Amino acid sequence: MQQLLSLFHPDQISIRHETRIAYSRDASRIHGECLAVVWPETIEDMIRLIGWAAETGNDLVPRGAGTGLCGGATPQNSVVIDSARLRQIGSIDIPANKIVVEAGVPLDLLNRHLKPFELFFPVIPGSHRSATIGGMIATNAAGLHAVRYGRIDEWVAEATLIDGKGIIHHLSAGDRGGIAGWEGITGMIVQAALHLTEIPQQRSLTLLCFDDLKGMLEEVAHLKANPSLSALEYINPQAAALVGWAAKHTLLAEFHSMDGKVEATIDMAAIWRARESLSARLTLAGFPISEDPQILPEAQESTLDWLAIQGIPVFGHLGVGIIHPRFLQGDPRILELYHRVSASGGQISGEHGMGLKKRQWASLAMKVKAQALKTQFDPQGVFNRGKLC
Amino acid sequence: MLIELLENPVCTECGLCREACPVFQIQQQEEFSPRGRAILGSAGIRTLVFYQCTLCRSCRVVCPIGHDPAGETLRAGLIEASIETPANQAMIANIREYGNPFGPLAEGEVPKTLTCC
Repeated sequence: MQQLLSLFHPDQISIRHETRIAYSRDASRIHGECLAVVWPETIEDMIRLIGWAAETGNDLVPRGAGTGLCGGATPQNSVVIDSARLRQIGSIDIPANKIVVEAGVPLDLLNRHLKPFELFFPVIPGSHRSATIGGMIATNAAGLHAVRYGRIDEWVAEATLIDGKGIIHHLSAGDRGGIAGWEGITGMIVQAALHLTEIPQQRSLTLLCFDDLKGMLEEVAHLKANPSLSALEYINPQAAALVGWAAKHTLLAEFHSMDGKVEATIDMAAIWRARESLSARLTLAGFPISEDPQILPEAQESTLDWLAIQGIPVFGHLGVGIIHPRFLQGDPRILELYHRVSASGGQISGEHGMGLKKRQWASLAMKVKAQALKTQFDPQGVFNRGKLC
Repeated sequence: MLIELLENPVCTECGLCREACPVFQIQQQEEFSPRGRAILGSAGIRTLVFYQCTLCRSCRVVCPIGHDPAGETLRAGLIEASIETPANQAMIANIREYGNPFGPLAEGEVPKTLTCC
């Protein structure tokens, strides 16, 4: 560690006990041993750090806001690279609706910056207050408006990645396979050029409650045919009851039109606040484990029915088939869920990533792709060992 | 609206508080964020980091479950363990000796530096 300490300004590195404890886990609460934390401010800092890691055989773990739920940023006898000082926001290319930002820029900060220009970045995960652009790219974030705007890989024009050999890559949209969703195993994303879009002129919401799951799914299909649909969120009866709402299958549909019944900004904000507090409130109610399967439309009825019969609280982005069933730690039904999702052609990780938590469930195709990327970008295994698969 | 001061002792460590914290905005290190302090507190660590909380409770306003950082309680633990900053020690000594936290002041003199924990 003394050699590493000598490579950086004292303000840019810490091996203090308090620092190492605070960085020993992310929002997954999966613990690991953090040896040190480095806050790079330049590409040269990154290259120096990577050179040290390659020479000494140490593992580097990139970290954004640490809001991941699968342990992707949990160190395992590793040095954590915190992107908190990579916060530069470039000027907006108004004609092209593009902007270049550093990886540590939090999403909400970016959108506050864009608001006076009537633009925004529309990929908005539930952790948008803190989530960084780099972390969102690393997990290929989807989120609350994915039914309209898709995943972040569709909004990254170019990303700058420094790989395990210390080589700088400017990967364009055509190279997406090497960037979005690889959870820091190929290197660290330090900068990205992002596409932006106009803030919608109109917005409205509708809340719908159903006793009958089949009837609700028919309404989902109907709502998805509306071209102005911008979010379609689901809350099952168990989740609704746990947070004090009517115990029904509930849909929150947002439109970029006046098709919804709730039009007042203050009322819509209150509804979104309630929806966005669900995750933490279910944790508080005793269901801390958040899963994120993506379920094909034809399997949604059987899966949601099974979850309701099991009494498992669920919410999620049903518009794109990603749901968040909540469990107690070690609940054996988590594995049963994985089997059901895999058997029905879905993905066990829709948007949280695989991290440490689900790595043993990675598909053969993912393992093959990850190995090929590792060989290309990080043959010495400098970055985020033991993650993803 | 006044903030309800009933304390919710549970932090789920989601990290949504980070950007609301004025101390984190300056330090940009996790241990100085509300979540970081909660992690340290839950690990039983007593550290001068707790003095860096401004007690503003901005984190509680944005916390999805209204977790209160209980900065006063964490500081009280430091006092009990006699863990003080040099500024604390100087302030207490000045109060005991001069009846004010600034030290010796001439008649009508306005203190040039304000020291706080």
